[in-house]
Amino acid sequence: MEIISRLLENYYYFVSMVLFIIGIHTMLTHSNLIKKVIGMNIMDTSIFLFFVSIGYRRGGMAPIIQPGVEAEMYVNPLPSALILTGIVVAVSVTAYALSLIVELYKQYGTCCANEIAQIRAREES
Amino acid sequence: MSLHLPVISIALLLLASFVMPLLRRGARAAALPFTLSVLGAVFTVSLYLIYLVESRGAFSYHVGGWPPPWGVELYIDHLAVYMMMVLSSICLVVMVYGARDLYHEIRAEVMSWYYTLYLLLLASMIGIALTNDLFTLFVFLEISTISACGIISIKKDRECIEASFKYLILSVLGSGCVLLGVAMIYMITGYLNYDFVAQELPQAIAEYPYNILMALSLFIVGFSVKSALFPLHIWLPDAHSSAPSPSSAVLSGLVIKIYAAAILRLLFRVFPAELFEVVPVLDILLFLSVLAVMAGSIFAMVQEDIKRMLAYSSIAQIGFVFMGIGLFGNRALLGGLVHIFNHALMKSMLFLAAGLIIYAAGIRNIRDLRGIGVRMPLTMGAFAIGAFSMVGIPGTNGFISKWHLALGALDLGRPFFVAIILLSSLLNGIYYLPIVINAFFGVKIEPRSEHRDVPGMMLVPVLILAAGVIFFGFYPGPILALLEQAIVL
Amino acid sequence: MEAVFYNFMPIWTVMFPIFMSMVIFIISRRSEKLRDGLSVATAVVTFFSVAAMYPYLAAGNIIDYTIFDILPGLGVSVRVDILSFSLAIISSFVWMLVAIYSIDYMSHEHGGDRYYPIFIFTLGSCLGIFMAGDFFTLFIFFELMSLISYVLVIHEETREALRAGYKYLIMTIIGGLALFFAIILTFELAGTVSLSQGTLITAAGTLPFLAFLSFLVGFGMKAGMFPLHVWLPDAHPVAPSPASALLSGIMLKTGAYGMLRVLFTVFNIPLVKETGWDMIMLVLAVITILLGSAVALTQEDLKRRLAYSSVGQMGYIILGMALLNETALVGDVFHIFSHALMKSTLFLAAGAIIWKTGLRNINDLQGIGKKMPVTMGAFTIAALAMIGIPPLNGFLSKWTLALGALEAGAPLYVVVLLISSLLNGLYYLPIIIAAFFGGEEEEEGGHHGEGIPFNIQEAAHRMVIPVAILGLACIVFGLMPNNFAFELSLRTASFLINAGMP
Repeated sequence: MEIISRLLENYYYFVSMVLFIIGIHTMLTHSNLIKKVIGMNIMDTSIFLFFVSIGYRRGGMAPIIQPGVEAEMYVNPLPSALILTGIVVAVSVTAYALSLIVELYKQYGTCCANEIAQIRAREES
Repeated sequence: MSLHLPVISIALLLLASFVMPLLRRGARAAALPFTLSVLGAVFTVSLYLIYLVESRGAFSYHVGGWPPPWGVELYIDHLAVYMMMVLSSICLVVMVYGARDLYHEIRAEVMSWYYTLYLLLLASMIGIALTNDLFTLFVFLEISTISACGIISIKKDRECIEASFKYLILSVLGSGCVLLGVAMIYMITGYLNYDFVAQELPQAIAEYPYNILMALSLFIVGFSVKSALFPLHIWLPDAHSSAPSPSSAVLSGLVIKIYAAAILRLLFRVFPAELFEVVPVLDILLFLSVLAVMAGSIFAMVQEDIKRMLAYSSIAQIGFVFMGIGLFGNRALLGGLVHIFNHALMKSMLFLAAGLIIYAAGIRNIRDLRGIGVRMPLTMGAFAIGAFSMVGIPGTNGFISKWHLALGALDLGRPFFVAIILLSSLLNGIYYLPIVINAFFGVKIEPRSEHRDVPGMMLVPVLILAAGVIFFGFYPGPILALLEQAIVL
Repeated sequence: MEAVFYNFMPIWTVMFPIFMSMVIFIISRRSEKLRDGLSVATAVVTFFSVAAMYPYLAAGNIIDYTIFDILPGLGVSVRVDILSFSLAIISSFVWMLVAIYSIDYMSHEHGGDRYYPIFIFTLGSCLGIFMAGDFFTLFIFFELMSLISYVLVIHEETREALRAGYKYLIMTIIGGLALFFAIILTFELAGTVSLSQGTLITAAGTLPFLAFLSFLVGFGMKAGMFPLHVWLPDAHPVAPSPASALLSGIMLKTGAYGMLRVLFTVFNIPLVKETGWDMIMLVLAVITILLGSAVALTQEDLKRRLAYSSVGQMGYIILGMALLNETALVGDVFHIFSHALMKSTLFLAAGAIIWKTGLRNINDLQGIGKKMPVTMGAFTIAALAMIGIPPLNGFLSKWTLALGALEAGAPLYVVVLLISSLLNGLYYLPIIIAAFFGGEEEEEGGHHGEGIPFNIQEAAHRMVIPVAILGLACIVFGLMPNNFAFELSLRTASFLINAGMP
């Protein structure tokens, strides 16, 4: 029971882990290259959510210090700042992966990894 | 001033890489000398840093003057300068070769982009070697991923594109694991700086054992994917064999090993030693390394494409590096670390020699290499030296690393691993030596296509690396002395 | 001053041929005559350089000089004691004669430009093995010699030669790795692998035993010890005959030399006796002797028969050292001398015959003795010495070995020696009888099948003379019991018994 209650309490960790696994699963098992990239993004996003939720405090304020206003608790801004970098990286990786897919589509006429493998096997034999 | 040198060299590489695409028309001819001089400068800096670290000891550098835990910190110790030296020296030599070779592998318009990616890759690898901060590590990791895939896919044929896509997906998976690990660590300790994390972790073990274990396993999985530790090596053979030869040389010689060095740093500087007593992480690494050594050699034996064979051989050799880490003894670690340099020398040399053969004769299939030694005696001579070094013939640097690894295994009372090392050497002999023999003796096959002359600028780097293989086989003293200080556990 | 000079001598004797092999390689493109002359000159100079060390060594000195250290306790060094000298002198002597022999032999073969540099390089690396001051240096030269002599094995580049060469190479690598393992274990246990530190491993245990076994595999591979001899009967016959003479006559002895060092320097007699490791060697030696001799009987190819005979003879040498007493050791070292002389005579004589007639099958050699009396005469002497007929040198070594076996209280080995001698007789005598007395009816009753061509006479002088000298040496070293070789054997034996210390 205790585990469940703790899970419920930290449900955002749980959700991000589920997303992470969904992402990895999509990335590794789907043969459609676009879906692989989508899976990659789901995985990345799950990590970002996880990271950001670490910094979150229930009832915390955005860490903007205004004169005269004294908040009791601030949300930790560092994870959010870091994740900005992470998002940039993820976007560029996605762009690069998509450009590779475009090129592959030009060469093989398909976006399916299995079909590409078949074409290559046919060429070799 | 000299304390700023590490960050200056990274900045210089980054800057140079951004300048490259800006060079237009007439200025394009300047790209190569510019790249080479930047690489040369970084190499000189790395030598100077070795001197600095040897004389003053390790030092840390706060980027922008912000002290940790807020600022980014670089930690320049013996291991870091060693890695920096290895990276920059091999990169320099390979670039000299690549300047000519690349013109027949990639289109001339994208040459300047190749320089960009190449410099970016070196910058990110040096960053990984120097950083003392988990998040910076992740950023450099991603830069290295993209640029490493880039120098494969820049050759626009279908194998390269497909291989780099496969590499990219698995590599991103690896970085994802690392980032999640970083998040776990941050969640527990509230720090990203190695030293601060290392301070916090011992107390945190009791409170959050599972999180730490989770982080540790995520790091190990992530870095194993990137350094192609068996059974996560599936991307490597395609990627390394289809890439342009200079890229293969750098990828196989350096890129997979920098991740091994990074995990080494994490294991020994961040995670508390008590953790290894609870969880047999090192034994798992050791087990995987043995599998890697054996499987890599066995797969290499059945390959027909010479670059594919070299790629599989790299899987076996990275196993040696991890074996050194997994054995966790002073001498074994020394063997594993010195193998980083030794293997970088010989594998990049072998890839470049293979590239020369492909360039001059257009041959990739091992069976067609018969008699090539008569036509290209120097290239095949260098290849032979590399092959001997792979087998571990004394007088070559491969012997030195195997010697230390084997002694290290004996120090720990585990002669089983000596047997593995010897067995793998035997397997290496079985697949490397017939190539050399067939190249020099036996039935000659008439060249199918016209035979191109080998330009001196491509041959000289191969010979330099071959000379290095011999030189460090007889004179490993300085390297070993540096590493002995790096691994004071 | 004198010591400095002699410290330098081994380096010179090893490096000079290695250097000259490069010179020969360069010269061979210009002039074949110069190449041949230079090869012979190098071998002669090397022989005299080795001989020049004798006065110093005879005075009881040992040359011991460390050139540099690669790692602490592990470096490149030279050391010449009486054992090294014995092996070096016989090697360079045979090498010199074979060099002279090669000139005419190789003039009909292709690839002399490759043969001579390798030939001379192998001389240097072989001497390097004998004069190495520690196991690491020994290992370097051992691997160099093994790998380089591959080129000699496959010289003909026929399919058969390449297959034999591949087998040779794989076995060499296995042997090299075993040696590597053994050296690492020794280093781990003793902290050094130098030959001049006295006994390196003094206590028994699992690791010492592993070291012993690995040494046995590493050197046994080279020495053609059962069950690691499989490469030998393939590799030796396919090489050109002068190279076979060296492979069988000299290079096998590097394995024996290594084993001697292992028994008497790495370990010591009490330890080996106490642990019973000598029994392993004795059993293997007996099997090697009987197997080599028995299989030789079944071989039709002359050179293959000689190669199997080498397996059997190496068995004697392993047996002699495993008996671990002084008398047996005298016989052992003397047998190294004898076998080097006998086997190179046989191979060179066989080479001369093959060179002249192109025939390799024993049944075809009817009546060859009348056509080539000197060559076959030398062959006969060496074959009789192999069988152990007095007063030839083979008799003397077998006699001493038998005495040693009796001293060790093991008359069984004397029986083994006798059986093997009998077998030797069975396979050598028919060749001799056929050569001198066979073939007459055939000649009269019309020629049928493949036989010896009619117009055959002696081979060129430069081939016959080395064969004759070697054949003569077999008699000389047998007739006079107090000869130079026997003297050396006596001193070497007493040197080894005293655990490698003078």
